[in-house]
Amino acid sequence: MPGFPTLIFEKAGEVAHISLDRPGALNSYNMQMRDDFSEALSAIQYDDEVRALIISGQGRAFCAGADLTEFGTAPSQVEARQVRWQRDVWGQLNGLRIPSIAAIHGYCMGSGMEIALLCDLRIATHDAVFAMPEVKLGMIPAAGGSQTLPRNCGASAALDLLLTGRRFGAEEALAMGLVTRTVAEDELESAAWSLAEDFCALPWPASGLVKQAIRDGMDLSLEDGLALEQRLAQVAYGA
Amino acid sequence: MKDFAILYRHIALEFKPTENGRRATLRLARPDNKNLIDHDMAEEIRDACRVIGQDNACRLVTVTGSGSSFSVGRATPDVAEGDVSGRIALLRIADCLSALPVPVVVVLNGDAIGHGLELALAGDLRIASESAGFALWEPGQATVPWDGGTQRLPRLVGPAWALDMALTGRKVGAREALALGLVNRVVAGDELETASMELAEQIMATAPVAARFAKETVNKGMDLTLDQGLRLEADLSVILHSTSDRAEGIASFKERRSPRYTGA
Repeated sequence: MPGFPTLIFEKAGEVAHISLDRPGALNSYNMQMRDDFSEALSAIQYDDEVRALIISGQGRAFCAGADLTEFGTAPSQVEARQVRWQRDVWGQLNGLRIPSIAAIHGYCMGSGMEIALLCDLRIATHDAVFAMPEVKLGMIPAAGGSQTLPRNCGASAALDLLLTGRRFGAEEALAMGLVTRTVAEDELESAAWSLAEDFCALPWPASGLVKQAIRDGMDLSLEDGLALEQRLAQVAYGA
Repeated sequence: MKDFAILYRHIALEFKPTENGRRATLRLARPDNKNLIDHDMAEEIRDACRVIGQDNACRLVTVTGSGSSFSVGRATPDVAEGDVSGRIALLRIADCLSALPVPVVVVLNGDAIGHGLELALAGDLRIASESAGFALWEPGQATVPWDGGTQRLPRLVGPAWALDMALTGRKVGAREALALGLVNRVVAGDELETASMELAEQIMATAPVAARFAKETVNKGMDLTLDQGLRLEADLSVILHSTSDRAEGIASFKERRSPRYTGA
């Protein structure tokens, strides 16, 4: 397993685990992490043994957001737009065939929240602190948050969070449907691994196909979604 | 910059300067009949939205009602006779409100029923007094809501609860509305004004263009596929690179101070 400067990547059986590893900077997301993340996701994407992914953070936080010290060095708008799609790490995460779990503790803000929202499920410790502060800083989310957030909690609740940039806790995140479970801090790791192992215990490719049916079906009319479901069920029976 | 108001008969439109730009307040002002929406009021609301939309210094709009109700809807015979589609067009107001580019906070001082609820649904955020109630009564009157209710309500609370409300006509209290996601906040009636002003100020402290773009990318993005929505987000995000407020936001963060936004 190659070592990465900004994250720990491990495989234990059928579970892949990416842990953001810039604890001194509360795992803030920088360009090096983008490159590392993209490489790790490529490895998972083409690994036929892996059946579930966990993303977590080392140290005191999941991820406190983008590393703003790198901002302002940005190239022209044309180049910025090109870079966004040249290495589409968010598309890679969203496009994974296997189920993904974000295990969240401490700060989960901005890009950190967006990474979590691109996972299929989110588990958080009771004391996790969330925020989408971009608009307070003259920006909007740029890792899909303006799309994934309202798809999980509705447009109005999403705007409540985006237009105020306010902090909110795990219980509110649970009530809004942004996380599916809250646990004590010392139970986070075991809860995430136990869930990942549950996913691995499902027959493959059914677990991947049901994810695909739900993820891709959300973009379709009901009629087209039902047709997709039929096709995927046939694939599962044929496997 | 001073306060100013535009005079109408059935509504009140006020612009107030704040340290973070102008806030418009659109108030339904017929408490004598619980802010019933009739042709005259609808025409004034459409005109007010046009005026607000033309004000580039306006940062945020609050919509509320005078008296103890937000609005109990409209009188039933209003549409029933003659050229129905023409009469409906004269009464439609929700689209004008939802088309505003700036954040719209609906302050629900009391009941929002029927057309009143449809107007409330056209805003971005809803904050309600705990005494407020919500209902759609149109099917009980042998009609269908036609100012966005059948589309905006299920997008907010899901189809089952939308049908539960539309097919029973029952009144949903503020606490239940909060649990359903129909409103974002519920506060005691005597705290509504303070709480809604705090919410408005919190939103107005953000960067103006970024706030408008956030509203656009969320609301328009929900009508797109995820891939299309991500494209919209990326494009708007990159356009924001051209604003000086973005540079100010980043500088203020690095220097650990409050940002000073100009809207440019």
